[in-house]
Amino acid sequence: MPLTPDDILKFLDNESETKFKSELLDLLRKRIDNLCLDECERDRIQCTLTPLCSRRFLLKLRIKNNLKYEDLPKFCYSVHKGVIERFFRNKTVIYRPYDAFLYLIDFLDVFFHGDYRKLNKFISFKNWDDSFKIFDDRINNRNEKFDYLLTDNYLLFKFEDRIHVIFLDELYVLCNANRENIPDLELLQGVCKLYSGIYFPEVKLKQRQSQHVEITVKVPYDVLNEVSPEHPIENDSKVDHYFWNTFWEDLNSLTQYCDEIHLQMDKNQNLEISLLLSTETKNYDEGENPVPLRFRDLKLILDFINRIYQDYFVLWVDKENKSGG
Amino acid sequence: MYYGWIKKIKVVVKMVENETEIAEIKTIKDFVKDGRIDDAVNIVALYLNDSTEEDYIDRLENIIETLLSLHGGRTVLRFLLENLIIDIPSLLENLSKKDSVLRYTFLLLLKTICENECDLFLPYSEDLLKSDDPNVREADLQLIIYMAGGSAKFDDPSLIKTIIAKLSDEKDFVVEKAIQALTTIGRKSPSLVTKILTEYVKETVDISENNELKGSIDTVMKSIVTVEKIEEIVEEEKSKLEKPPEDSVSEEIPSSDLEKEEFEMLDKEYELKKKGLEIKKKKLELEEKEKEIEEKVIQTKEEVLKLKEEILIRETIISEESDGKEKSQKVKIPKKLKKEEADIIDKELELKKKDIEIKKKKLEIEEKEKELEEKEILEREKALKIKEILIEKEKELSLVELELKQKSLKQKEQKIKDEEIKRVGEELQRQLKEEEDET
Repeated sequence: MPLTPDDILKFLDNESETKFKSELLDLLRKRIDNLCLDECERDRIQCTLTPLCSRRFLLKLRIKNNLKYEDLPKFCYSVHKGVIERFFRNKTVIYRPYDAFLYLIDFLDVFFHGDYRKLNKFISFKNWDDSFKIFDDRINNRNEKFDYLLTDNYLLFKFEDRIHVIFLDELYVLCNANRENIPDLELLQGVCKLYSGIYFPEVKLKQRQSQHVEITVKVPYDVLNEVSPEHPIENDSKVDHYFWNTFWEDLNSLTQYCDEIHLQMDKNQNLEISLLLSTETKNYDEGENPVPLRFRDLKLILDFINRIYQDYFVLWVDKENKSGG
Repeated sequence: MYYGWIKKIKVVVKMVENETEIAEIKTIKDFVKDGRIDDAVNIVALYLNDSTEEDYIDRLENIIETLLSLHGGRTVLRFLLENLIIDIPSLLENLSKKDSVLRYTFLLLLKTICENECDLFLPYSEDLLKSDDPNVREADLQLIIYMAGGSAKFDDPSLIKTIIAKLSDEKDFVVEKAIQALTTIGRKSPSLVTKILTEYVKETVDISENNELKGSIDTVMKSIVTVEKIEEIVEEEKSKLEKPPEDSVSEEIPSSDLEKEEFEMLDKEYELKKKGLEIKKKKLELEEKEKEIEEKVIQTKEEVLKLKEEILIRETIISEESDGKEKSQKVKIPKKLKKEEADIIDKELELKKKDIEIKKKKLEIEEKEKELEEKEILEREKALKIKEILIEKEKELSLVELELKQKSLKQKEQKIKDEEIKRVGEELQRQLKEEEDET
């Protein structure tokens, strides 16, 4: 029977002789270097169209470990940057560059070409006033559509439906965040805040005991009043259709990503839905460790909030205001 | 404030330009989807003609982007290339200025066209290989790889030589592509590529010092010459010597006379080749004989030299002993020497005679060869003339066929017209009758 990857992992976990481990890892390192710096780049067409590692994940390995540009396969990185730029400009790409890492200056070159040198300087020295001036000028005067939010360690951007995260200490950027894990609560709260500011400003958002982020959205009493007390058989209204069919399915699917979900009636008989989020999900891997929350999981949660807010909260509050006026 | 307004106006102008461009691209897409390829091609031509120097590349990119995503994009592209709306050299030069993703994806789009219709690209290949831009050289080599991987067989030694020259290109990625190109060509024409490569190695002076070039040539040779391919190469060489060229056999000629003439021509060509081979054999034999004779001459000369040396030694001994000996003895020894000397001179004369004879024979053979070559040229000229006549006859035949077709078409038209006139007449008569009946 041939050697399997599991055998190697077990060996690395259990072997007491560190020399053997380091020898084994050195073999792996040499293989990776040879693959990246020689085999793949030798034929540029192959490196561009069919790179020898899936979606250039070996670049991520280097960038996330703070290796410098000099230590990267240069042509591969240039193609990687090109793919991100093409995807940003909605042009044809060979693969969608989700969870792609770039150095800060290259990210700024792609997304803020023209101001990228200035921005690189400002962001590197955390000169936020000048940085925000440039961003606001682009939004207000140059017809560019994006939103941004600064936290202690991250600067978040949202272009259309895509999230990009600048890691301010490391000076690299996660572009088109999707399957990547959310590393800490600060970033989790940051993304929630960014979405909340754009889509559901009246939804409550707070941090609880430095472990959870709580999002609370209300379904007004008037909406609940519209829902039939029994399951409608024919000609169900939109409200009926949603609350009798989809709502519970949505909540059920969210239970795997939220630590807790609370449903309660407030004093005005509105339904309060509170979701408690952390950086871990309720799913477990083979080693029975909780699976980390990913950006795409958070997106599902935020989409749910957005739906409730847009379809039932804003509409009914507006209605109330109009009838009251 | 003023600066802000200018910025806003610029943004608005850009937006309007973009909207018109989007409309044009949309119509192109719609035409292609509806199968109106000609209309799509015309619009692309207009769209590209409207461009300025600044935005030509962007417009070209838009077109490429559009064609990449469309089902009938390849057909449109083929039309654009055929009608020289996009010409290959400027296309590759412009693509070089764009990002590698677009460049290589577009090259991939050209793959099937290259494989099936290499005539579109082949005329530019050699010139593009000499371009100053390494990206153009690389792209051109990639197109050559696609073409060689298709139905076409590369037998142009000049192009192969130019590709081989790229094995020592300053850019590694061009060298890599040249290796791939030669390997792909070598799969179909192993003997030709190996032959030209070996010639190149012989001609290159500093090859032993250039390890990279040596490595590249090694890689190409190793990928071409396998155990199976060695047999193929040998068989190919043999068949080249034995068989007449394939293209002259495969041509179909309508009349039996022409076939006969062509067979005769082939026979003659075959005979000429046989004679050529015989001459080569004779040449080789003569060369061997010459060598043998030269060796003999060298041996005899050596013998003569030895004898002369001996004579000199003896002379010195005699002169030393002469003081103490009698005069009569002195006279006898020179006589013997003189005889030996005369023998040597005779032998030398004989050798010279033989040399002259050999030279004469050589000259005669050369004259014969020249005569044969002249005959060959004459035969070829005759063959070419016959071919020309054949082509003319074929043309005439096709013209006659066309005329016949036209005539038959006219006849058909006439028939249809007559029938229509008849039908109209009958109809009129019927109507007249009906009117008469009514009155």
